[in-house]
Amino acid sequence: MATPLHEDIYQLVREPINMAELARHVRAPEDGATVTFDGFVRDHSHNRPTHYLDYEAYESMALAKMREIGAQLHEKFAIHRVAMVHRLGRLEIGQTSVFIAVSAAHRNPAFDACRFAIDTLKRTVPIWKKEYFEDGAVWADGELPPAPAATSRAKPAS
Amino acid sequence: MLLAPSRRAGYNSFVPSVSQSIRVKVLFFGRLKEIAGRAEEVIEAVDGSTIEQLFSQYVTRLPELARYRSSLVASRNQEFAAWDTALHSGDEVAFLPPVSGG
Repeated sequence: MATPLHEDIYQLVREPINMAELARHVRAPEDGATVTFDGFVRDHSHNRPTHYLDYEAYESMALAKMREIGAQLHEKFAIHRVAMVHRLGRLEIGQTSVFIAVSAAHRNPAFDACRFAIDTLKRTVPIWKKEYFEDGAVWADGELPPAPAATSRAKPAS
Repeated sequence: MLLAPSRRAGYNSFVPSVSQSIRVKVLFFGRLKEIAGRAEEVIEAVDGSTIEQLFSQYVTRLPELARYRSSLVASRNQEFAAWDTALHSGDEVAFLPPVSGG
């Protein structure tokens, strides 16, 4: 498997996420801590029982944005490796939709980086979930990613 | 400015002067995919059209889209882009609803 950028892993998958394997992957002898985030499907939304969720993504852009988050983590925090995996398709209650593992020599940067990673992913990575209830389905309320307000006409398009 | 139907008719005839025309790929996600009834398509526009003008063309076709304009962000070639970004042939454009991953 290709292991870009500090042997990190960034993936979109349609099968169950192997959390143990990812947590093991980021661990190295020079590290002293791994912090993981396991986001999974809740059995209710806005006080209604949820049946299941269906996730879709703008896959090429989502992966690019996940790698960008990884690059930011390495820039901002004294960490070692990152694993960031999001699952797509139909997910049942209790199934993991997103998993993040960050290793570091010390715990604080690992905690901070993991928190920054999930917060930024939820705000900027083009992934959407539809919530299925007993009597219908709705696209989940989401966050509008920050985007440039206007181009600078003086600058050439990049 | 986007191709009006009369221009499109000219394009479809054997008139060779098609230099103003570009083709862009447009992607739809979430509720926009349901409104558009498709995940993607390739459409023609006049070279230099902005993302905003492209969206307006879709609103003409699918008026229901208009109410979502203020809750969308645009992307060009997998990067978030301003609505006044000019498009070029081969660009991939998407109108992105609020994201809800995680």
